[in-house]
Amino acid sequence: MSRPAIVVQHLRQGYGRNMVLHDVSLEIPRGQTFALLGRNGAGKTTLIRTLLGLLRPSGGTVEVLGLDPALKPLEIRSRVGYLAEDQAMYGWMTADDMTRFLAPFYPTWDAGLASELLDRFAVPRHARIKHLSKGENVRLGLALALAHRPEIVILDDPALGLDPITRKQFSRDVIEHLQAEGRAVFYSSHLLYEVEAVADAVAILDQGRIVRAGATEDLQREVKRVVLSPEALAGRPSPANLLDVRRDAARIAVTLDDSGPWIAGLRADGVEHVVEDLSLDEIFEAFVIGRVDGWPKSSTPLNAAVA
Amino acid sequence: MFIRIQRGSSIPVSRQMDAQIRAQILAGSLRPGDQLPSVRQLARELAVNVNTVLRVYERLSAEGFIDLRHGDGTYVAERPKDADSSQLAERRREFYLELDALVRRGLMLGVTAAELPQRLAESIERVQRDASFINPLGRNNEASS
Repeated sequence: MSRPAIVVQHLRQGYGRNMVLHDVSLEIPRGQTFALLGRNGAGKTTLIRTLLGLLRPSGGTVEVLGLDPALKPLEIRSRVGYLAEDQAMYGWMTADDMTRFLAPFYPTWDAGLASELLDRFAVPRHARIKHLSKGENVRLGLALALAHRPEIVILDDPALGLDPITRKQFSRDVIEHLQAEGRAVFYSSHLLYEVEAVADAVAILDQGRIVRAGATEDLQREVKRVVLSPEALAGRPSPANLLDVRRDAARIAVTLDDSGPWIAGLRADGVEHVVEDLSLDEIFEAFVIGRVDGWPKSSTPLNAAVA
Repeated sequence: MFIRIQRGSSIPVSRQMDAQIRAQILAGSLRPGDQLPSVRQLARELAVNVNTVLRVYERLSAEGFIDLRHGDGTYVAERPKDADSSQLAERRREFYLELDALVRRGLMLGVTAAELPQRLAESIERVQRDASFINPLGRNNEASS
C-alpha cells in the first residue's frame, strides 16, 4: 500500500535531435497533489501521455499503480482519471448522454456518483455540450474523470482558458473532491500562482529535463535572492547552485538554490547583504531563464576588495 | 476569522495563514473558546491545499494557540497570560530584526546614517497622527497586565 502511485525512472522520449524528454525521474506518493510546471513545449503533455500508456518510452521505466502503462494501457485507463488539455467531446451529446456513453468503457463506473458530480459541479445535464461554457466543459470533464472512482487523477493543464473566478472554483473542487479523499493528483500547469496554494510538491520541467523538484515551501525556503555590492562579492567563490546573476550600477542580485550555507558564509564574514524571499513565479523564472554569466570576474585581488 | 491569502507572494501560503491567525488571537479578535473552521472547510474556502491547512493548525496547536479536539472541532485555546507576553517578546525580537534589515537596505540605497534618525522621527509622527495605526498587540498587552 505504501508503494508510490507513480514512479518514473530515467525516462527518455524521442530520438536524436528530437528528444522531448531527457532522463526524467520522479516519484509521487499516494495522496499527494503534484504539479508539473513548464512552459509550452517543455514536454508536459508527452510525459502525461507516457503515464497513460499512450506512448511507449524510448528509454527508462514508468510505473503507475505498480503497472507498466505501455503493457497494461486498459487497466491503467480504468484505474486512472484523466482530463485532457482540450478534450474533444461529442458536441451534439448532452452531459447526461456522455455519462451513459462512457459507462460501458469502465468496469468501476458509478452512475450514481456521475450524476451526483454533475449536480455538485453545476453542469447543465440536458444542454448540448457544444453550448456549454468553457468552465462548464472543464467541470464536466472533471466529473467524467472521477465517476469511475480512479485511484489517481491526471489533469493536463485543466485551468487553461478559465477565468480567474472559475479557476479558483476549480482549485476548490480539486481540493475538496480529490485531496480531501486522499487520492494522488498529478497535474500540469503554467499558472504558478494557482499551483502554489494547491500542490504539495512541484517539479519544474524545462526542455525535457526536470531541473528542480520539491515541496513548494521547501523551494521557497531554499531558493533566495541576495543583493549586495560588487565589492562585497569580489573574491568570493561563486556558490554551487547559482541560478541567476543580475547587476545594476551599484548592486548585484544573486539568485541561488540551497542558499543557506552561502548566506551563512556572508554573515560569518560580516558582508553587508540583503536576503530576499522569492515567489514561485520568480523561482520558476530563475530555473528556466536564469543566466549566470554576470558573475564578476575574480581578477580583483582580495585586498583591493577590502579597501 | 478572516484570512486573506495573497497568491504569487514571496511569503509562503502557510506563513501567511499562520501569521494572520496568530495575530487575531493575540489581538483578541479571536477569543478563547471561539470555534475555527475545520481543516477541510478552511482549505475549501481559501482554495488552499488540505495538508497546508493541517500543518498550520498543528503548529498553532503545538504552541498552545488552538485546541484540536478530535471529532469535536478546533477552538481557540485558553492561554496563560505569561505565554502571551513571551509570544509578544518573540514578535518584538522579530520586529527588531526587520528594523535592522530595513536600516541595512536604506544604507545600501544611499540613505546616510546621519539622516536615519530624522526619518524615523518623521515616520513616528505620521503613524501617531492616526490613532488607528497603534499596534493592537501593544493595546492587548496593556489590557492583560
